[in-house]
Amino acid sequence: MNCFRNTRTCLSVAALATVVGAPLAAQTTVDVAIIGEADTFDPMVSTKDVVSIVTQHFVETLYTFDDSWAVVPLLAADMPQISEDGLTYTIPLREGVTFHDGSTMDSADVVGSIERWLELATRGRSIADKVESVEATGEHEVTISLSAPYAPLLSLLAFSNSAAAVYPEEILAETIENVVGTGPYKIAEHAPDQYLQLTRFEDYTQPTGAAERQQTPDEIRFVPVPDPNTRVEGLLSGQFDFADSLPAESFARVESSDVAEPLVLEPFGWPLFAINHKQGLLTDKTLRQAVQAALPHDDMLFAAFGDDTFFQVDGAQYPEGWTWQTDAGTDLYNQNDLEKASALLEEAGYDGTPLRILTSRQYEFHYKMAEVAQMALEAAGFDVDMTVVDWATLSQQRDDPTMWDIYITHSPFLPEPSLTSTFFSTSREGWANPEKEELLTAFTTETDPEARKEIFADIQQIVLDDVGFIKIGNFNSLQGKSTALSGVEAAPWPQFWNASVAE
Amino acid sequence: MTRYLIKRLVGLVVVIFLVLTIAFIIVRLAPGDPAALMLGPDATTEDVAELRTRLGLDRPIYVQYLTFVANAAQGDLGDSLFFNAPVLEVLAARAEPTIFLALFSLIFALVIAAPIGIYAAYRHGSATDQGAISTAMLAASVPSFLTGLIFQRYLATELGWFPASGYGGPDASFLERMGHLILPSIVLGITNSALILRFTRASMLDILGEDYVRTARAKGMTERRVVLRHALKNAGIPIITVVGLTFALLVSGAVVTERVFNLPGLGNLVVNAVLRRDYPIIQGTLIVVAALYVLVNLLTDLLYLVVDKRVKL
Amino acid sequence: MAATLSAEPNFFGALISRKSVLVALVIFVAVVGISFLSPLISPTNPDAMSVRSRLLPPGSEGYLLGADAFGRDVLSRLLFAGRVSLTIGLGVAIVSSVIGILIGLLAGFFQRLDTPLSRLIDAMMAFPDILLALSLVAIFGGSMTNVILALSIVYAPRIARIVRASTLVIRVLPYVEAARALGTRTHVIMWTHVLRNTISPILVQATFIFAYAMLAEAGLSFLGVGVDPETPTWGTMVNEGRQYIDQAFFLVLIPGLAISISVLSLQLVGDGLRDALDPRLAKET
Repeated sequence: MNCFRNTRTCLSVAALATVVGAPLAAQTTVDVAIIGEADTFDPMVSTKDVVSIVTQHFVETLYTFDDSWAVVPLLAADMPQISEDGLTYTIPLREGVTFHDGSTMDSADVVGSIERWLELATRGRSIADKVESVEATGEHEVTISLSAPYAPLLSLLAFSNSAAAVYPEEILAETIENVVGTGPYKIAEHAPDQYLQLTRFEDYTQPTGAAERQQTPDEIRFVPVPDPNTRVEGLLSGQFDFADSLPAESFARVESSDVAEPLVLEPFGWPLFAINHKQGLLTDKTLRQAVQAALPHDDMLFAAFGDDTFFQVDGAQYPEGWTWQTDAGTDLYNQNDLEKASALLEEAGYDGTPLRILTSRQYEFHYKMAEVAQMALEAAGFDVDMTVVDWATLSQQRDDPTMWDIYITHSPFLPEPSLTSTFFSTSREGWANPEKEELLTAFTTETDPEARKEIFADIQQIVLDDVGFIKIGNFNSLQGKSTALSGVEAAPWPQFWNASVAE
Repeated sequence: MTRYLIKRLVGLVVVIFLVLTIAFIIVRLAPGDPAALMLGPDATTEDVAELRTRLGLDRPIYVQYLTFVANAAQGDLGDSLFFNAPVLEVLAARAEPTIFLALFSLIFALVIAAPIGIYAAYRHGSATDQGAISTAMLAASVPSFLTGLIFQRYLATELGWFPASGYGGPDASFLERMGHLILPSIVLGITNSALILRFTRASMLDILGEDYVRTARAKGMTERRVVLRHALKNAGIPIITVVGLTFALLVSGAVVTERVFNLPGLGNLVVNAVLRRDYPIIQGTLIVVAALYVLVNLLTDLLYLVVDKRVKL
Repeated sequence: MAATLSAEPNFFGALISRKSVLVALVIFVAVVGISFLSPLISPTNPDAMSVRSRLLPPGSEGYLLGADAFGRDVLSRLLFAGRVSLTIGLGVAIVSSVIGILIGLLAGFFQRLDTPLSRLIDAMMAFPDILLALSLVAIFGGSMTNVILALSIVYAPRIARIVRASTLVIRVLPYVEAARALGTRTHVIMWTHVLRNTISPILVQATFIFAYAMLAEAGLSFLGVGVDPETPTWGTMVNEGRQYIDQAFFLVLIPGLAISISVLSLQLVGDGLRDALDPRLAKET
């Protein structure tokens, strides 16, 4: 008998051959196919989803999000004491938290880590000018002082993407070679592009706010599998217990399989056409409105995701069920009105300068939406110059405002709108609009949730009125898990500490 | 002979230097910024600029080149931008699947294709000949990634005869790892056996048309003996040539095959490196593969000397 | 000896006398003819989308060979894509042969040039072809011309090597030595004797390079760096289709067959060509 498949399957075949139903080796391993290699294990310096998925198992933050996206304490002992004026956050820390190197976490580690975050992390830097000081006000207490109230602070501290991760003070440096965290799992072995092996951290102490990390599997293995079809084959052949980001087209096949089942994350996120406000054609508002009028959102989504169980034609920034959901301004969404677009082009005195759309096939749906958009925009009278590059080139070219007018990207629905950088004039898109800036400042300094909701409705209205960027719709993401796996939910950043595999 | 060897060894160094230079130029001309990639989609322009400085990507290109050559001469191919590890270390970790994939598929191809090729030439024009040639051509006419995907889907996922992808986990034994290579080797071997079959057959035909073979025939030697004695002996050069050629084909065939089966070999490493703009890895792989290739080449030429006395070097 | 060399003119007769070769030749000519007439015979605009018709199977009304993920007519795209794929193959075969012959002849014939040119051939061949093509296309972008140039650079050394190897042997053959001794000028020797004797492997190789280039184009599409996806080729069609392998296998099958049929017929023609061009063999069979 050839034990070609992974060890567990092999063992189970061997077991069946001897005594049916005999108990198996106690060792449990969860094999997870992810879309690529996590090029760093320091989630502070990366905003990639794959880094978040992997590192959340061994690196922790002061706060985290629960199932309903509420902020709950993780390394913190409790929610912070926030002063009346909203300027001072006093954060109690859990006692007896052990790092993987055996040392114990204290306020000095947290202060050092947050200072590094403010200095190096993309999201940390975005608020560094609002932070007056980060101080240890006790062995297990940290105080953050702000120069102005900043409502999204806790969400930023809780986010696993460009995360405010807590490291031991001793390892803090510009580049951290060997990441040491406090998470329920620790890195055992890393073979680049092959696997990342995590083993249970025996000295882990459970959080008081966030859900329990049961540490069920002995081992979690993340295997980078860049090709979507290979992830499907691997899942269906029993090689993986979980596979992230499967093509919508594989849904039927995964569903009909007897070893695996689909997990639909609904809705997962929103594709968007990011607009260059710094230079070029679309600095003209009338032309932006022409693009907005011309786009056939329903066709774009249909071509991109194939099956309407995988997308919703929805112009609101947040889907039904989210606090931030509002219909403000959505009458301007999915107009699909070529005549209006042509009229706007004429009004703007469009001279035939090509509209440059930059996209990549890293995400096939980006490219498909661009193809359909191109056809509609050309029908409206635009001369479209579409450039399809690899993701590496795209990430470089989009930083150069001379290279593009529109680039295509997507984002998961983030619990706090201000985590979306495109709203801000400091982003690479550079959308500056005095009225919007005012609203944003009000939004980030306001602490009353109801008031913030109302301000957000005005922000959404202005995004559509001024065409700050174009949200295409909502889409679901498809993940797959083996039928034997339980304790894992479909999530943008799936977690495996409660996973168990039935034999 | 010794002088010739020395000359060739000097040539080897020259070739590697040429390859090194060409590789440096090619990868540096490519657009795409490794710093932006490393930081992820939400990084700001300033973050990217800062990382570029830290990685030395902002220095003038000739400085980067000179540093690179000087270090390479000392066996230091730099550090991978993505793995934070020396290039040679990363390459060494990836060599195993590629080497065995190439070896297995070459053996597969030679064992299947060479005898058929010789036999087809011997029965030149017969139905067997036509059949062999047509089958080989058919096999070589399907894009290899398609063969791979179809085999993967039916033989691995559906039937479960082979692992669908990967190279086993951290605890995979050597045999288990080799098990992961069987299906990829067959896929790669199919494409290459077609080439070897055609080439062997063509070379045999060439030789069967030579004067000395005709003389042997005229002398009343049986056709079988002609083939075994004279023709086979002189088929050495073309077969050596094709093995030499196939080496390069195998390495590039490995790029696609490793991609389909998600094997952590050099081919997959290089494609990822190109997509990630991991310059030191691209350069390092090119240099190592080039060195291997030039060595094989040198051996091929030396074998010419041994096999065919007509070649004066 | 000279007499056998001039026994070539009836090679066309020899070429088509073989049934399989004749069939292959007819098929290939038909494929080329149909593809190049695509603007005239294509049923619709290959880029016209109708998203609601996506993935309609072959035989559907208005879509003889079905519709792709954008609801574009597969037949029309197949015809236009064929033009691009065949142009790439032919372009690579011609450009790489020209470069390869020049380098190979010079290297094989002039001992002084042999070393540097062989080193160049070696250096170029030392690059795994897909990787070199991948890097070149990544730098210069995926236009058709760039793909042709990149693949020509990749394949030229093969021709060069074969030409050089044959030249090395032929150079010392008695009649070439004799011609040289008789004072014939060097380049005349080259063109008359050597080239004539190497033309058969070159033509055969060029035919195969034509075929390989079409396969390589498909491979590059698979790796994500092929011709600009806006220009349909058979390779990009297969690669796009493989996402729908469950719902619409024809999207892979149809362009896949187009590639395989062209490549297969090319190889058969190449083989026939080889046999026909080699007068010694032609006489004996």
